[in-house]
Amino acid sequence: MDHQGHSQNPSMGVVGSGAQLAYGSNPYQPGQITGPPGSVVTSVGTIQSTPAGAQLGQHQLAYQHIHQQQQHQLQQQLQQFWSNQYQEIEKVTDFKNHSLPLARIKKIMKADEDVRMISAEAPVIFARACEMFILELTLRSWNHTEENKRRTLQKNDIAAAITRTDIFDFLVDIVPREDLKDEVLASIPRGTMPVAGPADALPYCYMPPQHASQVGAAGVIMGKPVMDPNMYAQQSHPYMAPQMWPQPPDQRQSSPEH
Amino acid sequence: MEDESHNNTLPNGFNTGSPESPFLKTSTTTTQHNKEQDRFLPIANVGRIMKKVIPPNGKISKDAKETVQECVSEFISFVTGEASDKCQREKRKTINGDDVIWAITTLGFEDYVEPLKTYLQKYKEIEGEKLSIPKQMRSEQRLQQHHNNYHDQNNQPFNGAYASSNLISQPPYVPTDQKFSLTFSPNSIQSQLRQQDQIDSVGHWYE
Repeated sequence: MDHQGHSQNPSMGVVGSGAQLAYGSNPYQPGQITGPPGSVVTSVGTIQSTPAGAQLGQHQLAYQHIHQQQQHQLQQQLQQFWSNQYQEIEKVTDFKNHSLPLARIKKIMKADEDVRMISAEAPVIFARACEMFILELTLRSWNHTEENKRRTLQKNDIAAAITRTDIFDFLVDIVPREDLKDEVLASIPRGTMPVAGPADALPYCYMPPQHASQVGAAGVIMGKPVMDPNMYAQQSHPYMAPQMWPQPPDQRQSSPEH
Repeated sequence: MEDESHNNTLPNGFNTGSPESPFLKTSTTTTQHNKEQDRFLPIANVGRIMKKVIPPNGKISKDAKETVQECVSEFISFVTGEASDKCQREKRKTINGDDVIWAITTLGFEDYVEPLKTYLQKYKEIEGEKLSIPKQMRSEQRLQQHHNNYHDQNNQPFNGAYASSNLISQPPYVPTDQKFSLTFSPNSIQSQLRQQDQIDSVGHWYE
């Protein structure tokens, strides 16, 4: 019980400075991600045979600019989204009307045989958490829809959002291998393009630039063989300590193999 | 079509999760599909929530909605598993709201934590007033709550706000600053302090 009380406070502290942590460096993460980026750099190094021309440079600049605009827009949308969530919940007075059925949530919870008793408040909290989850996943997926100049959100957009967001790693098995494979394959050659990209993308920790660059980026795939390892560092920053997760390292290791 | 789907998911029972529901038959002729749908939240509810964050002229394919249905069920199972493990370590049998929030924190969804803590605090404040109600009446209220769950209205103000946001390619900075500063208003800070007291109280209770 003392431990529980103690664990609550650090969580509060961390959350209180969440906005800063999202953009600052996490002392635990760099060490954990030295392996995969190194592997990626090694594998990409073998493609150094083609030099970059002036025309390729122009393409890079164009794509970088578009990419930065898109990331900035998503960033603002997410910020506004969370701000709205907080304000909206401040106004909640009725707990009988939920956007999701509590009975179904409880049934899904009970699918786990280890789960025995569930208090009345747990499905209520889950209803709200699931709504936020759906909204965040949809927002990130729509970002991919727009990158591809479409107006209909599709399954592969969700696959892309899952691939790009660390806290969604547990969903990797949900998306078909085809959708996921396309995204993973795209991440390797795209990473060779923007050398300046990683530096410019530094404040945007949520999404690696190479994924967004897949639109029309084929022409410059061979342009830049070196990938900045910091790209992965940035990707991991805002969400979790990798050492807690067996899956993320495996996922990153599998990327260079493709 | 969506309305029909919504009606089909009405529960058929009192307190516990609904058993195999005969209402689901109207949405499909296959038994397996019925069972499969029971593992997910209703696609109509999921679709409505998704529409809140895409532009008015945007569309959502059915397979995208179905994929999100699967993702949400996975999210519930993922968080529940973590919360359940914690309860077992502490030799408690009942998963409560704080356990869910703790699990969400542990699994990396930091952005969700403050809104959920506020939500749980409000829920406890309102539900606390009902603790003195006799058991029978509480059951009746629960049934009523069940019924109300399936007649939820879209959150129109939020939808409007977000639709408006997405229509502007370059959102102005001033509104963003205003909204951002609001989260640090004295009321918000006081709310957080009360939250902390609430949490300490709960922790003490379990000690």
